[in-house]
Amino acid sequence: MNAVLKAVNLVKIYQDGAVPVPAVRGVDLQVEPGEFVAIMGPSGSGKSTLVHMLGGLDTRTSGEIWLDGKRADTLSESAWALLRRKKIGFVFQFFNLVTNMTVGDNVELPALLAGASPKVARERRESLLAALNLTDRADAAPAQLSGGEQQRVALARALANQPSLLLADEPTGNLDSRNTRDVLRLLSEVHKEGQTIIMVTHDARVASLADRLVSLFDGEIVDDGRIARRRTGTAGEVIDLR
Amino acid sequence: MSTALAGSRWIKADLRARKGQAALTVLAVAGIVAALITAATLLEDGTNPWRSLFAQTDGAHVWLYTKNSPRVALNGIDGVTRTAGPYRSAPVTVAQGGKKEPAALRAMPATPPTVAHPVVAEGKWLDVAQPDGVVVERTFATALRLRVGASFTVIALSGERHTLYVRGIADSAEQGFYPQWTPGLAYVLPAMLDRVEPMLGRSEWVTGLRLADPDATQVVSQRVVVMLEDELQRVYTWREVRAAMELDNRLLGTLLALFGVVGLVAAALALANAAGGRVLGQLRDLATLKSMGFTKGQIALLLLVEHGALGLLGVALGAVAGWGVMALVLGATSVAPIPVLAIIGGTALVVLAAVGLPAWRGGRTPPIPDVPSAPPRGHLSRLARLALLVRLPPALVLGTRDAFTRRVPAFLTAFGLAVPMMMTTIGLGVWATLDDFADHPEQVGQHASLYVRPGKLLEAADAKRIAEQDRDVAAVYPGTDVNALAPGEARSVRVRAIGSSTAPYPFSVVEGRMYGRQGEAVAGQGLLDLLGVKIGDRVRLTVGGTPLIVRIVGRTVEPDQDGVVLSVGLDSLAAKDAVPPEFYALALKPGADQAEVRGRLMAESAESLDVQAAVNPADRLSIIRVVIVALIAVLTLIGLANLLTASALGLRDHAFDLAVLKAMGLTPRQVMATLVMGTGLLVVLGVGVGAAVGMSVVTGLIDLQGHTSGVGAGIGRAPSALTLAIAVVTAVGTALAVALIPARRAARAQVPVTSR
Repeated sequence: MNAVLKAVNLVKIYQDGAVPVPAVRGVDLQVEPGEFVAIMGPSGSGKSTLVHMLGGLDTRTSGEIWLDGKRADTLSESAWALLRRKKIGFVFQFFNLVTNMTVGDNVELPALLAGASPKVARERRESLLAALNLTDRADAAPAQLSGGEQQRVALARALANQPSLLLADEPTGNLDSRNTRDVLRLLSEVHKEGQTIIMVTHDARVASLADRLVSLFDGEIVDDGRIARRRTGTAGEVIDLR
Repeated sequence: MSTALAGSRWIKADLRARKGQAALTVLAVAGIVAALITAATLLEDGTNPWRSLFAQTDGAHVWLYTKNSPRVALNGIDGVTRTAGPYRSAPVTVAQGGKKEPAALRAMPATPPTVAHPVVAEGKWLDVAQPDGVVVERTFATALRLRVGASFTVIALSGERHTLYVRGIADSAEQGFYPQWTPGLAYVLPAMLDRVEPMLGRSEWVTGLRLADPDATQVVSQRVVVMLEDELQRVYTWREVRAAMELDNRLLGTLLALFGVVGLVAAALALANAAGGRVLGQLRDLATLKSMGFTKGQIALLLLVEHGALGLLGVALGAVAGWGVMALVLGATSVAPIPVLAIIGGTALVVLAAVGLPAWRGGRTPPIPDVPSAPPRGHLSRLARLALLVRLPPALVLGTRDAFTRRVPAFLTAFGLAVPMMMTTIGLGVWATLDDFADHPEQVGQHASLYVRPGKLLEAADAKRIAEQDRDVAAVYPGTDVNALAPGEARSVRVRAIGSSTAPYPFSVVEGRMYGRQGEAVAGQGLLDLLGVKIGDRVRLTVGGTPLIVRIVGRTVEPDQDGVVLSVGLDSLAAKDAVPPEFYALALKPGADQAEVRGRLMAESAESLDVQAAVNPADRLSIIRVVIVALIAVLTLIGLANLLTASALGLRDHAFDLAVLKAMGLTPRQVMATLVMGTGLLVVLGVGVGAAVGMSVVTGLIDLQGHTSGVGAGIGRAPSALTLAIAVVTAVGTALAVALIPARRAARAQVPVTSR
């Protein structure tokens, strides 16, 4: 089976000041379809930079990135943008909904961008919002929603195009425990349906939801291992977070 | 296609979120474009009615007035293709609705001539079947409110009254419009003219020459002067007629063009500032769009389309409005398509260029939404340090610091307010100049407000006596207007002899000095330019065959005849021209009512005096006031657009600081003061600079316009200190009020420590 994502000796060095600051130093990572990978590490360990590079939001200094068996690190910024439309969904810590647009429009936007007709985009938005229990908030402005609701909308938006890879950068970092639980339940649900997910977090309890845990320290992978599943099922585990 | 669909959603949502600002942008651009189109149309030759009138009437290029029917072969002159006339013409007074207007009654045959034939606009041309029929020139008919069929009473020099009936109203290109050009013109059959004015000696002969080449006017008219010598009374050419018809259009056009061009610069800046500010405020949204798959170019295009569309909508609205107004006022054919298209194209380009840079910068937003785009954290500005030194309240210090953290928008805001304020100051200066015309007519050469002509029953001396006896008359100056021929010039100039060299009429002399003895004269700028002379030069003119040699010792402000007027004392003129005086100019005592004195003089003389009130140039130019008000309104819109941008940007930059400020112990009121101070300082700076620059250029600009129009420099007035103070206070006050509303909301809001 082909890996969804493969990173080979990925390096990122920031050249802002006089002194080059290495953020990621030689990361090798392979993610199989349907895998749920949590990337953990302390602040400044380079985990956000890594995810941004994997999604093409940031350029790599050296190394290779392969997406669905095709090399992606050599792509131009515009080509990355076109690739993101169909293959990558992003969820950010601060939700990042387009403030001027309604919840419904926010969810429809990626579908429209990927070439769906307005009718199809609307159908997809309705099913996604229904699944996330947000149907009645479709016409609200993002600012009128709670943090948890906003993050659920952001998740719906990221999933609108059934991307091959969902990248989540601290998706629960700005939420209270109840909203964290809601968002994590959604993540695990989409994971069960076969969605490949890479999630950055510094919260061990959040990371424990994943199949596999990658620990990053000073820009290098220090640990990479599968999380042993208890037999009691996953839903209960989520509820335990409270 | 898919991007367009997604992009249009975003544009729609964004425009919905800032309806007010978008509307302001559209209106401001529309106003500027409308002003520019109006200006171009007014300045364009095509609006000058002369051109079409000349073509319609197959007009003559040169008109000459002689004492007797010219006996030389005028059509034998090189370059003359055909002649019109000679027609006999007699001066009469038209009594209409209690008013008496001077008119020239022109004898014309019942079959219109091939050259310079008046075009009948209403009614019919003269016909032998109706010997008492008269055809009146259209502007004269309008001024007298004459309709076809109305009676037309003329009083001949002998005092005899004749009642004619208006048979037609016609357009003519042989003289300018009434009342700018007097006397008014009316045509009758030759037999009728013989009845009204049997004395050949009291009439003159008018001949028109049509030339093969209009530019040969100068040569031909000099040839005429040489051939006719003493016979010739005066000559004028198509250039003077054309200039007379376009006078006000040019002035208005120049004013509009000045405001339009400077306004366009201001509008472009406002647009760039608004687009730039909006982009700064949306960096996170733009990053989000990129993370969703918009490319750099698509984001730039999206912004260009959004902000450019607003500008282009304004251009379109302005074009429609400008074209509509001009079509309504001057007729649908008056708007020349090429300049209008050039303006539309040019302004569209300016709009796109103005929003292009912010759009391009927006496209370069890094696609990582979580990186906060903090404003540049500058050190305290010098102003802020100064504020600290003098121990101002903390809100002021913080506000002062904030005002300049983003240098470019700060500059754009201040500059964007300075330009409208400068133009407003200039507008107020024009207003003040007009007020000055109206309040102090003596400063524009209109010391006398009534002109009295002795009627048929009175001797000149009686008229003088009646005028002098009136209790409100301060001074009586005898005067005569004659036409003089200048050597080497293709036209006559007006010589105004008034007062005497020892007791001169108080002209408003702005350069040199007043004439003090016989043989000295003062002149308007137009005359100096026409003859190419300067103060101190001697000029030789011919008045009805008699040479008039004078030395020009000063320049007057001269609102009549485009400044082509030479003023002398009555004693400088030959006795045959000066005695008896043609009229008496009456200067009234301060506070006297013009109409009241006129009524009294009429009653005193048993209606036999002809009393005319001087027409103040300000009355004729009152349309300028309307234009100024409209332009100031457009400039205000531009200023407001800038302000909204500035305060939105200020709020965005400080949303994060608000919580910190509150945590530090600033009350909501102090927070509000900080925010308002940030914008307010730029406002005060911009308004102050704008007003100062405006004040320093306004008199110069008006004088420049006065110089080119022939009136002459020396008329420009700066707005009064009080007016300017009110304007500045209003501008700053409005600006602060506009900045206050969002600041108040922000200060009151429960500010969470939000991210950006």
